Amino acid sequence: SMLRYKLIYFPIRGRGEVARQLFYLAGVPFKDDRITISEWSSLKAKTPFGQLPVLEVDGHQLAQSFAIFRYLAQEFGFAGDSPLEALWVDVTADQHKEYENKIKPALRFQGSEEEKEQLMRNVAEPARDKYFPLLEKIAEEHGSSGHFVGASLTWVDLLIAEHASILLKQFPGFLDRYPTVLAIVDAILSTPKLKEWLEKRPDTAF
Amino acid sequence: KLTYFDGRGRGEVARQLFHLSGVPFEDNRIPMAEWPAHKASMPFGKMPLLEVNGKPLPQSYAIFRYLAREFGFVGDSPFAAAWVDAVADQFKDYFDEIKSLLFVHFGFAQGDKEKMMKDVAIPARDKFFPMLEKIAKDNHNNGHFVGASLTWVDLLIAEHVSVLLKYMPGFLNDYPTVLSTVKKINSIPKLKEWIDKRPDSTF
Repeated sequence: SMLRYKLIYFPIRGRGEVARQLFYLAGVPFKDDRITISEWSSLKAKTPFGQLPVLEVDGHQLAQSFAIFRYLAQEFGFAGDSPLEALWVDVTADQHKEYENKIKPALRFQGSEEEKEQLMRNVAEPARDKYFPLLEKIAEEHGSSGHFVGASLTWVDLLIAEHASILLKQFPGFLDRYPTVLAIVDAILSTPKLKEWLEKRPDTAF
Repeated sequence: KLTYFDGRGRGEVARQLFHLSGVPFEDNRIPMAEWPAHKASMPFGKMPLLEVNGKPLPQSYAIFRYLAREFGFVGDSPFAAAWVDAVADQFKDYFDEIKSLLFVHFGFAQGDKEKMMKDVAIPARDKFFPMLEKIAKDNHNNGHFVGASLTWVDLLIAEHVSVLLKYMPGFLNDYPTVLSTVKKINSIPKLKEWIDKRPDSTF
């Protein structure tokens, strides 16, 4: 194959979607290698850290989703317009990761209504109310024209917009107290080339 | 200006980057007793903070990467820089698993050290260090974890291994390439200079 890039991940959006979006937005062809569980069991030992996603560039492997996103973003021009902007993108992404780790137990939880309510009260709402005011502040101080950081699309815009889509599908109205964030997410998802991808990408639950 | 506790912890790599590049900075160390008052007034409620253009920024790895890029410690190419990021993020996952035992050693928390060694530290080590050993070996045991020149992930890992060896001697005996890489990093003259003169701290 003449393709320089291969993204290896499961057939879900999860921790691979931002990379796929970056390729599509940049108009760079890549092999979107969506593998099965049985294919994974034989591939796992051949990956750097036994995890996915893995990016192959000219046959060389790179692991860890944020390292992959940042690398592709820098190659394709979605990492911020200056070192300082790139720094704020990284700060926001790491803040977001910490929040996502906290709220994870409440997402896609399959249990009783009572347990769901407890998770909402004890896990989801506190995690949200610790993070989203900070995100609004970052956007107000460092973002413009419908972006969280800077005046043009960055990989942290894609990261947060993808998460918000899943979050609001499961908990409609969950971010009603954060209109700045909602407006930015809306603007990101309306970016023409991204909208194109969202409409034609394989449909998966998450 | 770098603001952190009076200890190495999650601030030390930034201090090392400044010292290695000979760039002066304000090493703002907050005493433990003053931390609660500071925390309440900080937008992100945590440290380290790096002040850039008068604005304080949190997130240690974002800070390290920014300084490393400014001073030339990110790696020899964009792909190498990405590998530095990947090893650092993998290390972060491991550190999050082992930190509960380290906090007991530092005196920040109570715990049964022997039980935590067995239940927490050894599993965390045996998951991460074989991968790191392979990375160091694949890098020709050249004294760096990625590429052929000093990067911020070298500093990150060397600092942590030094802590491990202080509180848990012999803990990494199965990972000789990691140990020799850390030894070489700690012997870099300008780094050794800082290590010898920096304020002493338990963490």
